[in-house]
Amino acid sequence: MIRALGIGLSFVAVAAQAQVAKELPPPVNTTVDFARDIRPILASRCFPCHGPQLQLHKLRLDRKAEASKGGESGVAAILPGKSADSLMIKYVAGLDPDVVMPPSGPRLTAAEIGLLRAWIDQGASYGEEPAAQTAAQPMAAPRRAVDYWAFKPPARLVIPSVKNAAWARNPIDAFVLAKLEAKGWKPSPPAAPQALLRRIYLDLIGLPPTLAEREEFLKDPSPTSIDRLVDNLLARPSYGERWARRWLDLVRYAETNGYERDATKPNAWRYRDYVIRSFNDDKPFDRLVLEQLAGDELAEITADSLTALGYYRLGPWDDEPADPQVDRFDQLDDIVSTTSQVFLGLTLGCARCHNHKFDPLLASDYYSMVAIFNGLERPRNGRTELDLPVGTRVELEALAARDRQIEPLEKQIKELRDAFRTEFLNSGRSKLAADVVRAFLTDPKKRDDNQRKLIADHAKELEQEIDEALPADIRKEIAAPEQRIAGLKEATPDLPRAYFLHEPSPHPPQTHLLIRGKAAQPGPEVQPGVPAVLVSYQPQFPPPSYTSQRRLTLARWITSPDHPLTARVLVNRIWQYHFGEGLVRTPSDFGMMGEEPTHPELLDWLASWFVDEGWSIKKLHRLIMTSNTYRMSKAWNSVYGAEDPEDRLLWRVPYTRLEVEAIRDSMLAVSGQLNPQMYGPSMYPFIPEAALAGNSDPDKIWKNSEEREASRRTIYAFLKRSMIVPMLEVLDLCDTTKTSGKRAVTSVAPQALTLFNGDFVNRQARHLASRLEREAGPDPEKQIERAYLLALSRPPTPAERKSMLEFLRTEPLHELCRVIFNLNELVYTD
Amino acid sequence: MNRYIPNPTPCGRTRREFLWQVGGGFAGLALIDLLTRDGAFAAETTKGAPGLLAAKPPHFQAKAKHAVFLFMNGAPSHIDTFDYKPELSKFDGQPYQGNLTVGSNGRPVGHLMQTPFEFKKHGQSGLEISSLFPRTAKFADDLCVIRSMHTDTAAHASGCLQMNTGSVIIGKPSIGAWLSYGLGTMNESLPSFVVMTDPRGGPISGPSNWTAGYMPAAYQGTLFRSTGAPLLDLATPAGASERTQRHSLDLLERLNREHLETRPGDSELVARIHSYELAYRMQTTAAEVVDLGKEDVKTREMYGLDDKRTSDFGSKCLITRRLLEKGVRFVQLYSGGGHIEDTWDGHTDCITNHKTHAGETDQPIAALMADLKRTGLWDETLLIWGGEFGRTPTSEGVGKPGRDHNWYGFSMWLAGAGVKGGQAIGSTDELGFKAVEEPCHVSDLHATILHLMGLDHTRLTYFYQGLNQRLTGVRGNVVKKVLA
Repeated sequence: MIRALGIGLSFVAVAAQAQVAKELPPPVNTTVDFARDIRPILASRCFPCHGPQLQLHKLRLDRKAEASKGGESGVAAILPGKSADSLMIKYVAGLDPDVVMPPSGPRLTAAEIGLLRAWIDQGASYGEEPAAQTAAQPMAAPRRAVDYWAFKPPARLVIPSVKNAAWARNPIDAFVLAKLEAKGWKPSPPAAPQALLRRIYLDLIGLPPTLAEREEFLKDPSPTSIDRLVDNLLARPSYGERWARRWLDLVRYAETNGYERDATKPNAWRYRDYVIRSFNDDKPFDRLVLEQLAGDELAEITADSLTALGYYRLGPWDDEPADPQVDRFDQLDDIVSTTSQVFLGLTLGCARCHNHKFDPLLASDYYSMVAIFNGLERPRNGRTELDLPVGTRVELEALAARDRQIEPLEKQIKELRDAFRTEFLNSGRSKLAADVVRAFLTDPKKRDDNQRKLIADHAKELEQEIDEALPADIRKEIAAPEQRIAGLKEATPDLPRAYFLHEPSPHPPQTHLLIRGKAAQPGPEVQPGVPAVLVSYQPQFPPPSYTSQRRLTLARWITSPDHPLTARVLVNRIWQYHFGEGLVRTPSDFGMMGEEPTHPELLDWLASWFVDEGWSIKKLHRLIMTSNTYRMSKAWNSVYGAEDPEDRLLWRVPYTRLEVEAIRDSMLAVSGQLNPQMYGPSMYPFIPEAALAGNSDPDKIWKNSEEREASRRTIYAFLKRSMIVPMLEVLDLCDTTKTSGKRAVTSVAPQALTLFNGDFVNRQARHLASRLEREAGPDPEKQIERAYLLALSRPPTPAERKSMLEFLRTEPLHELCRVIFNLNELVYTD
Repeated sequence: MNRYIPNPTPCGRTRREFLWQVGGGFAGLALIDLLTRDGAFAAETTKGAPGLLAAKPPHFQAKAKHAVFLFMNGAPSHIDTFDYKPELSKFDGQPYQGNLTVGSNGRPVGHLMQTPFEFKKHGQSGLEISSLFPRTAKFADDLCVIRSMHTDTAAHASGCLQMNTGSVIIGKPSIGAWLSYGLGTMNESLPSFVVMTDPRGGPISGPSNWTAGYMPAAYQGTLFRSTGAPLLDLATPAGASERTQRHSLDLLERLNREHLETRPGDSELVARIHSYELAYRMQTTAAEVVDLGKEDVKTREMYGLDDKRTSDFGSKCLITRRLLEKGVRFVQLYSGGGHIEDTWDGHTDCITNHKTHAGETDQPIAALMADLKRTGLWDETLLIWGGEFGRTPTSEGVGKPGRDHNWYGFSMWLAGAGVKGGQAIGSTDELGFKAVEEPCHVSDLHATILHLMGLDHTRLTYFYQGLNQRLTGVRGNVVKKVLA
């Protein structure tokens, strides 16, 4: 996918102007000076690909001898004295429609070409060539000069002093308040306790408080009691069910492959459970990175660390690619692009076909990352994907040893059965139709399509017949190996299985830079490495062990305490999920096209603090949620709002619509139907027939779960790429085909149709109505009161009460419940 | 810093982007007072409804305001429809000796197989069309057949994706989404982009063929069914009367407005209130559009509504006319759905298969063309006909009547606003395997479609993941000969 993105821009630049030039711009008629006139052009436009660091097409233009010799085409790039015949001039002038140089960025101007022509005509002098400038020059050296905040480690900053010191409950407040005070502004007043209560519940666990919890809290809504509430909620399992979903957005989680067959990824849900457990266990983030990127390369591997590797395999997969070679690189691109955006906040995928347009990331950086992942393979049998057992190394080896023992025993059983099967089929005792029997008896290599189908359809039936017909002596012969197998399996039971990519050989294939990203055009070989602009020295890639150890090296580098990006990117994400916007509002792009942080000092302070505190995400939540910044009201201020409508200074907490998961789960909780069962295979929420009709296999594609099962939390809903549950899709679930750092928020009519007319909401409305009748009795006033407390954690105002009572005079209670489920306040917490 | 306003990026939503997003274009009017408080918006708000789907001027004047894509799902055979190959008859039954890898996925390759259908010259232009399309052939002088189409894949899933989104990789915005994004909507009570699939099932990858991809969901195609309620959850829920529905919506609005009064400044809340009103309007409009009860007998006959064979595609074509009348920008109709023989995918018996599918669509398509001419919509509507690739001039298996996938060359046609009819552009080789003269890649077709709609495919970009994305990626040239 990034392939197309990658070249998109360059094409705009080239295509817009790249009509074939018929004539060359004339050479300038002054004497040119290489250092003054020529080197700047070559250095910025040619050397990045044909210079000391990289010699695409084996062409090097920074030294006269090589430039005159040319690249792999064997044609000289420059012919001193003959600019019009020099290939370089033809290419930069656009005389050849197939090759226009430079391939990206603006075209060279006529003036620049004129200078280059004059330089070549005047003998193409390179001035004094520095002898030291050789190919061995380290790649990173010239690019360390990039002075960009996100590529430097977070600064350790002093917490600013503020005038209103009393407001600064923790350092976050000091950083936020300092900015507001600098403008003469005041922070928004604290939110009302019952509003804050609902905000905190939905924020942390994605469910509203129960009536008892609300009452308990309102007895003492002091700041310290709020602190305790935060701790209490962080300790609940429902916290992981809420926050894991954000990680699933980032890692493009879905349970099918997309494309024609859209096959189910076996046991992919175990990865989802791993993420929920990890959040609940507050697994340190550096550990999460290590497990997901290199769970098989750790000293101690576990079922968890292998399951975590599912990360690599969650994306779409075309089991019938048009070009398998291209597909291999598309798969690697999915990994490189996702990994660089998720962990580093870099759009390295843009460097697949050429150097990055805006960031100092080179195509060679991209392919160095490809080299890190190039040993990964997809366990499969043709189009059928396989899962793998997970456990410790000892457990896995014991299992492998057991299976080696079982194999000959199974073969023995098979041979006995095979021999009998042939005899049985020939004897005419089978009840199967004659053509089916004939199909079974035909040499497997000579079976036609129809016979293969017959066999697939009747294999089970035949085996049943065989089971019944087996004579006692053969039965006895089979019994011994069968018992032996049972004994072996009892001694060494099966292990759970999970869905991940593995690295079967410690020696990955060579990786080449692909010229213009084309699989068919390999360029120079590249070594594993990390983006050069981020390091002074490449991390040391150790010799292979069970695997190449490359991913472990990458993961260790990503989690090194002074890494400029990892902690910043992560704390920014957590901040964004609390406040709707991050301190950097492009959460997966910290590059030069991303936004600058609104509070750079706070971002750096948080990043350093986070690492110092052991990469604990729960501690980070606690820090944020115990700040007065988090507890500000969402009230609009027309003066501040006019000047800072986007709330970049954080003068209030902005309104953000809840994600569809929290909306759906809240409704289930309020209606009393929420099934709290955690973990395990996914459930299938109800999809009406009408929605299935748009698919190519409407009958088989989806089996609705029964209601109790479907009333589990939304994170357990099966995510099928070709058939996303319409309610989730229409309410802005993220795109599952690629990493998503932020959900879109749209307010379109189909959402209103879904929430007002759709089956789910109407069903919950009826459940809520029964609940109200049960719990509040027949008095409409009491029913209304209870409905509001359950759904909005507050009693209705007198005006609201009046409107609703009037409504209930002519309309049934479940209609009122439907209205309540559609209120803005339900999906926008205060 | 937002250097790419107003392209809304999935990240870095600015207030301005946000206001483009709210309401998906329909919420506009109610928001005007809110917007005009914000000086930066004054200019935009004067031009009509703001929002993602606000009408936007084309890059240049163009006749076509609407487009209809008649998608022949499963890949029709070009040599049996619009690409006459007399040479193929000469070599009928002989093995293919060229150097192309014929067919797909290791299916058996048979011998060269001539078309069993008779080709005749039609109209003043003498355009050659096979006997599969007797009624469409009456419009020969309106059709611009491109006989030199080619694509990058021989698999249905990726082929459909490429034809619809410009890329074989899943998740890119579809051409209808690009049109909605580039031109906005022309109506306020229906979606701007409507899709109608075949009752036998949708195309492979389903909604990925009409997705908005990385763009906001407001641009995605809305699936209309041609029978019953056209939209999901369009009908008032069972058990609720229309009066109750109205009462409930009124109460909802009252409560939401009271809520809004104490929370000024948050236009997302306003947009959401408005979306319920639009939804209610759509309940009526969308239901009306698919209610063909008031169409006269002559129209019903013309579209073949009362003939079992043509009634489904005929209804879709008639609904298409009605959608265009209501200002829908882009309609995509699928002929064929599900798998193999339920689509144009004639692996086992291409002849019977194509008789079936052409029989179902020829009359309705001709009726649509006649009707568009009658209503004057013809002059502002672009028609596109074709599938994801073509079929092999060889049979699939020796002596069998099937044809396999062929992605080296196939035919499509364009007609209507801005199209020069009565011509065939380009050609395949003498046997019909590969586009040889004036080859037209899918991206060239896309560039041409956008051009006909007034959009320059190199300028219609969407900023995403650090780059300006295009429907045509890095390719695409407008096929100038198509233009009238």
